[in-house]
Formats: sequence, structure tokens, C-alpha cells
Amino acid sequence: MAEMWISMGPQHPMTHGLWTLKVKVDGETVVDTEPDLGYIHRGVEKICEARDFTQITTYCDRLCYASANTWSHSYIYAAEDLLEVEVPERAEYIRLIAIEIQRIASHLMWLGAYGPDIGNLSIMVWCLREREMMMDLLQELGGSRMHYNFPRIGGVKRDLPYGFAQRARAKLKLFLNRIQEYEALYDESTIFLVRSQGVGYAKPEEMVNHGVTGPNLRAGGVNYDVRWAHPYSVYSELDWSAPVERSSIKGADCYDRYRVRIEEMRVSASLALQALDKIPGGADTHYEPEDPMILAKAPSRAPEGNTGAHHFEDSRGESMFYIAGGGEGRGKQPYRVSIRSPIFITIPFAAKCMIGYKVADIPAIMGSFDPCIGETDR
Amino acid sequence: MGKIVSTTVQKEAAEAIVNSISELDGVDAEVVERVSGTHPRNVVVANSSPESWRGLAEKLYSDHAVDHCSMITGIHWPERDDVRKWEVVYHLLRTGVRDPPSEDGVVQPIIVNPSTVRGFGTPVEIEIHVDLPDSRTPSIDSVQDIWIGADWNEKETWDLVGIDFDGHEGMRRVLLPHETPRGYHPLQKQHNLRYHGFEEMYDDAQGFMRKPEDVGKIK
Repeated sequence: MAEMWISMGPQHPMTHGLWTLKVKVDGETVVDTEPDLGYIHRGVEKICEARDFTQITTYCDRLCYASANTWSHSYIYAAEDLLEVEVPERAEYIRLIAIEIQRIASHLMWLGAYGPDIGNLSIMVWCLREREMMMDLLQELGGSRMHYNFPRIGGVKRDLPYGFAQRARAKLKLFLNRIQEYEALYDESTIFLVRSQGVGYAKPEEMVNHGVTGPNLRAGGVNYDVRWAHPYSVYSELDWSAPVERSSIKGADCYDRYRVRIEEMRVSASLALQALDKIPGGADTHYEPEDPMILAKAPSRAPEGNTGAHHFEDSRGESMFYIAGGGEGRGKQPYRVSIRSPIFITIPFAAKCMIGYKVADIPAIMGSFDPCIGETDR
Repeated sequence: MGKIVSTTVQKEAAEAIVNSISELDGVDAEVVERVSGTHPRNVVVANSSPESWRGLAEKLYSDHAVDHCSMITGIHWPERDDVRKWEVVYHLLRTGVRDPPSEDGVVQPIIVNPSTVRGFGTPVEIEIHVDLPDSRTPSIDSVQDIWIGADWNEKETWDLVGIDFDGHEGMRRVLLPHETPRGYHPLQKQHNLRYHGFEEMYDDAQGFMRKPEDVGKIK
């Protein structure tokens, strides 16, 4: 049969955003693919060059609409590297709690969106129900529902509110129970198993060479995680291990990528619960904003010729900021901000994974990599 | 089960890489201690000449198992002297990831214990700066064939900054529209971005009156 190119997107449920996947098909079989991005390129890197270091945090929140907190923290760690700030330990614990709760919320959004992708419609509302609890917790910390602007260079905006620890513990424990409901909904759904098992194989060594990290890599049977490999925050103080999925000989398939995210939500919830128990000063005390316990003094100008970089475990893989700062007359603003988006690197790999499968498998494979176009196009 | 990788092991691994790559011509490397939050980390920071970059990349990949290209950043420095008007910064990682083995058809996951990693399994962070001389079309050797993950990083660097990569196959616009004029790369410093103050935003909230400073100039 003659081969032909078809476009999936920019408006297609498979894309989870706005981009085009050009697919070369031979009948129903995918022969070649080419992704085409940039539909919502906002030029964040250029905008950051005309903003103060403190103003950039809000832009980083808006990089990913499902996982805002991890992105602003990713920037903050790089900026602290640049400005040479030491962070109080209590602030590090509060950050860890915020990051891990955000990771759960992000994975729940993915889990809810992945079900309808491949024909399991009821899961969406179940996941959003628990995501709502996580959003409430984050709203208590940051004051808004989606873009929290929570971390500050040198600490955090506010301490844990009164009664936060109690509510967080109750909600996280309830959530840990309810994970079993998602597992029941997915693992006992024949249509889900048929469509996710045995498609989109990817092997770990190949994934690392292609730049794929995070849950997608851990689904392949290795426990590489930036949180232990290039440690930041207080992960060394807590008892945890990166979740790993036992893959098949051919590599990780869509089902493994779903399993590893379920496990990761459990680990994140346990990390947040442990941090609430171990936080210095106690989770029930409340320090005023700008107290030295939660916010260290930070300079507003970067030293001449200094650079800052930080690898960070985002919900979708390894995110990273590189900031070249200072220079004559522009000490308050960065000279160049560069952003590594995990999904920007993953999309070309995911597109290669589809070759050889049927057109109907494309949503299942693409969705399993958890694309977020906000951070991809920047 | 250990929790995180030990700082001393990571420092030793970084020093081993530094000692090895410093022998190359035109490469100048050191271990820099940085702090992230409260945690110290040791980073290999190297400066390389454009001619020796390709050799350095091959050596890192084959001799030191550096298997992951994290990010490539291009920077335009118009106020610097002529030999370093452009800069390319590579962030590489050694992840130590191996395909899990299978026994009797069942895959055995590799669970690395972070506190006991040694040798090539030790994760190391590497940052390499390459300065390029003044040119209208700066270029540097591509490493697309060593790390496939560098492919789209290089595409993006050319697209936004205008630094070309010799030997890169399939170079095209990725973030800007395909019909963007040739030679237009927005992150070059001749394209200025003004900061719009609050009053200005208030008077002209939609921004109809605003124009970039390079309006009317050939792009």
C-alpha cells in the first residue's frame, strides 16, 4: 500500500496541549514520525533577561500548568547557586513538602488524563477528586490555586499555616488509601490492559542516551533519580527509595510507565508525611514571614562572572536551569537564563517509540510519557 | 538502603575525570564545590577550545561513561573581546544506568544502593564552557552522534541563539515558526527587550503602542 503523511494535531486529544505529530503511515502501521513544536512558545528565556531575579519566579511557575511548584523550585535552586545563598533547614523541609505534594497533584492530573486517552472515562473524575485535596493543601501554602509563587531566594514565602500539619496528614493518609481505588479501576479494566500492555517499548540505556529521565526511565527497571544522584534539599534525612518497575525484556511499555507513577505517588506521600514529623521547630509552630528560620537574607545582585546551575527532579524528569548572571550595569538581572525541559527532549524519543505500532496506539504511547506542552515550548 | 550518594565518593569521581581530561590540549578543568540549599555538591567545570571539544566529548563518552547530555546553552556576549563573543555551555551527566539483566526470561531490576555506588556508577555533574570567536555565523562541532539527546538541544540552540553545529543532520526551526526569516535568532543581544513599567502597562494595558527597539531594522 502507498505510504502517506498525516498530521495529528495541533488540535487533537492525543497531544495534551498544542503541537503537531506528523505520522507517515502504511495502511494502519506507523512507518515514520516527526514532531513539530513551538505553537505556544512565549520566549520565557528572553523575558527573564529583562527581569530581576525575584521577578522570574512567577514566570517559572507558569512554565508548567500541572506542576507549577516544582518548576519555580527548580529555578530557585539555580538562583541560589548563582547568588551564593545558604537556606535555613526549616525552609528546606517546607520546600520538600510543597514539592512532593505538587508531584502527587501532577501525577494525578496525568493519571486522570491518561484514562480517557485510551477509553477508561470514569477514572478522570476520581483522580481530580483527590487532586482537589492536594490543591487545597498547596493553596494553604502559596495562597493561589495554580501558580503559587511559593519559594523565595533564600527560603519560602510563608511558614506552614496553623493546623496545616494536621490537615496534610489526614489528607495524605486518606490519599494513600484511595490509591488502591485507582489501581482497581485500571488493573481490572480489560480495555486499559489491552491497550497499554505490549506497546511503546523503551530500554533504559537507550532512554538515557536520548535524554529521557524521571519516571519514564525508572519504568525500565533502573532506580536512577536526581534526588539521590545529585542531592538537594533534605532527601538525605528521610527514609525513601526511588520507585522502580519490573519491565519486560523488550523494555518498559506503557503499562510499566503507569505502574511506576502510582508507586511514585506513594513515595511522595510518604516523604511529605516524614518531613512533617521531622521538620526542625515542629510542624505546629508558625513563624512570621521573613523570620530567619524560614528565609535567609539574599543579595539582589549577582557577583560578576558568576554562573548558577542546578539539576532538579521534576514530576516529568530532570529539569534544569542555567543562569549566567551579572555583568556591567545589569547586576540585578540575569544575562542569560536557559531552561532544560524534560518533555522537550522526551517528545522526539516518544515519537520514535511509535514506529512499528498501529495508528490507534499513538495516543496510548504518547500519553504514557506525560507530555506537558507549557514547559516544552517555554 | 542508602538514601543519597556520598559527597566524598562523588568528589573523588569528579577529581578522576578532571585529572584525565586536563591532559588534553586546550582543556582546562577543575572541581568546583557548589552548594544547593544546604547540601554541598562537586561539579567538574572545564573550559575547552573549540578545536578540542569534539575530542573531549569522545573521551568523556568512551573513557568515563558520561552517558547523558542534559542541556546545551548558547550565549551571545557582544561586549566581550573578539575571541570570545559566543559561548556554548554543555551540561553533561554520568548516570551509570545499565539495561537490567534477565534471568530465565524474567527481568531483574537494577536497584542501585546510592550509599555504596563506586567507579563508573557514580553520578557526576559536568559543565563545559567553549568560547567561540567573533563571527556572523558561529559554529562548533556537533555531538549529536555521541549523545542522541543532544540533537534537539542543538536544534534549539541554533534556533534561538544562532550558533550552528557542524555535522548536525536535520537542522531546522523547533520553537520558532518554520517561516522565520533566515538569520533571525531572538536570543542574540542586538534584539533588546524593554522592561515595561507599571504606569506604562496601566496606560496601555494591551500593548498596542509598544514596539520593540529593533523595529524596522533588517532581521
